[in-house]
Amino acid sequence: MSGNLERRYRRVLRLLPGWYRQQWEQDMVAAFLDGWLTGDPEADEYITKAAGPSWAEVASVASLAVRLYLGGAGTPRRYFAWGQAVRGAVFAVTLVQAVLGLDMLVQTAWSRHLLSWLPAPPASMVAATPGGVLPPAVWYLMACAWIVSFVTLVRGHYRAAQIIAALAILPDLVRLLEGQVTGLLPAPYVGPWAFWVLLDFAPVLAMVAFHRDAPPTARRSWLLALPTGYLLVGLPLLALQVTGNTAWLPDFSGLYCVLVSLACLVHVPRVWSGHDARAGVWSLTLTLLAADAGAYRIFSIADYWHDPHLINVSLAELLILLVAVALVAPDAVRAQAPTPAPPPHPRLG
Amino acid sequence: MTGQAFFVLTALAGGPRHGYGIVAEVAELSRGRVRLKIGSLYGVLERLSAEGLIEPDREEAHDGRLRRYYRLTKDGRGALAEEAELRAATARVVRARLGLAGPATAGAAG
Repeated sequence: MSGNLERRYRRVLRLLPGWYRQQWEQDMVAAFLDGWLTGDPEADEYITKAAGPSWAEVASVASLAVRLYLGGAGTPRRYFAWGQAVRGAVFAVTLVQAVLGLDMLVQTAWSRHLLSWLPAPPASMVAATPGGVLPPAVWYLMACAWIVSFVTLVRGHYRAAQIIAALAILPDLVRLLEGQVTGLLPAPYVGPWAFWVLLDFAPVLAMVAFHRDAPPTARRSWLLALPTGYLLVGLPLLALQVTGNTAWLPDFSGLYCVLVSLACLVHVPRVWSGHDARAGVWSLTLTLLAADAGAYRIFSIADYWHDPHLINVSLAELLILLVAVALVAPDAVRAQAPTPAPPPHPRLG
Repeated sequence: MTGQAFFVLTALAGGPRHGYGIVAEVAELSRGRVRLKIGSLYGVLERLSAEGLIEPDREEAHDGRLRRYYRLTKDGRGALAEEAELRAATARVVRARLGLAGPATAGAAG
């Protein structure tokens, strides 16, 4: 009697991990059908032919699937490792955005002589924001928004952090669309879009991994990472810029590859020592970041099609990234080794 | 404790119920404001089960389908009583501040 309707709902339930379906699927199907079927054979025959799970019902299953695949405490080891790795990667990319935001604010303050204790700014720093239809104030707000989003995320206000970050990526989207329409940015225009997708949109989307079951964050370490990241990366880059020593510096995509490669190399001793139980999750986090950085590098090479030297430099950066991630990738695979699923409910008579 | 978890535990406080029975009871308790989708319900049930606040009671065949009933555990009763007290106290404060007369109800704090 319930054939078609049941089949449609079971198809939706395939979104859920196998271990969860094994435990709960029959029960979910029964509850779903109870909500539809009336006990009247004629009405039920029509319902089973015509009805199906609503979008809200599908969304509730999809949301449950995200929570289970990017698991928190209590989920099988593999899903917990993926959840922690995605959360770690989101923290890292949001940190990069916050450091970029801080850099923009510092450059703006300096170029406008707001930091009186610093020497006069070089002429190259006067225009710190991209041009276009959006006024500079929007870009300053965007810079602030990434910093606020990062701090909010670290403090555990996940949905607020996601909303703020979603607003922060809009100016970049407007600039890209404007460039596309007006031809303001040079063709083939792949790198800026790759940046928006991989470093703007992807982390905002991946913030769904921060759900109620996500374990608490090491707040102090991540909060310290913002000033540390600026002092170790942002400030030296600014110093190189103002002293005119930028010729040998990689572009942002190359810099991202180099930073992830360095992080992999710093992490290798932890992996090889074999004493740190959390090393596997960090290996998986770094592998995800390497995938993000590698994809960004590959797509942005398209913008250098006219310059064989820059293509060679980009390929060298990719090679360095590949070698570095190869050192941690086996550990990332081990971190996902399956463990027995939670025991099913006791058999009931 | 989330609003959904509170309503599910309250539904089970009246006795063991199966999945759709909980959905219907929660809708009634909340006067139609909370309509649990099945995915959301089983997200809550799985969490409450992992926390030891509910447990399976029995299974019954109905129209060829197996319905599994759930019941509150001792810890579940304690957690619900604690949450109800907290919500009732909050509701009392709200009513006092708004100058409303009469006893507060836990259901109003969902």
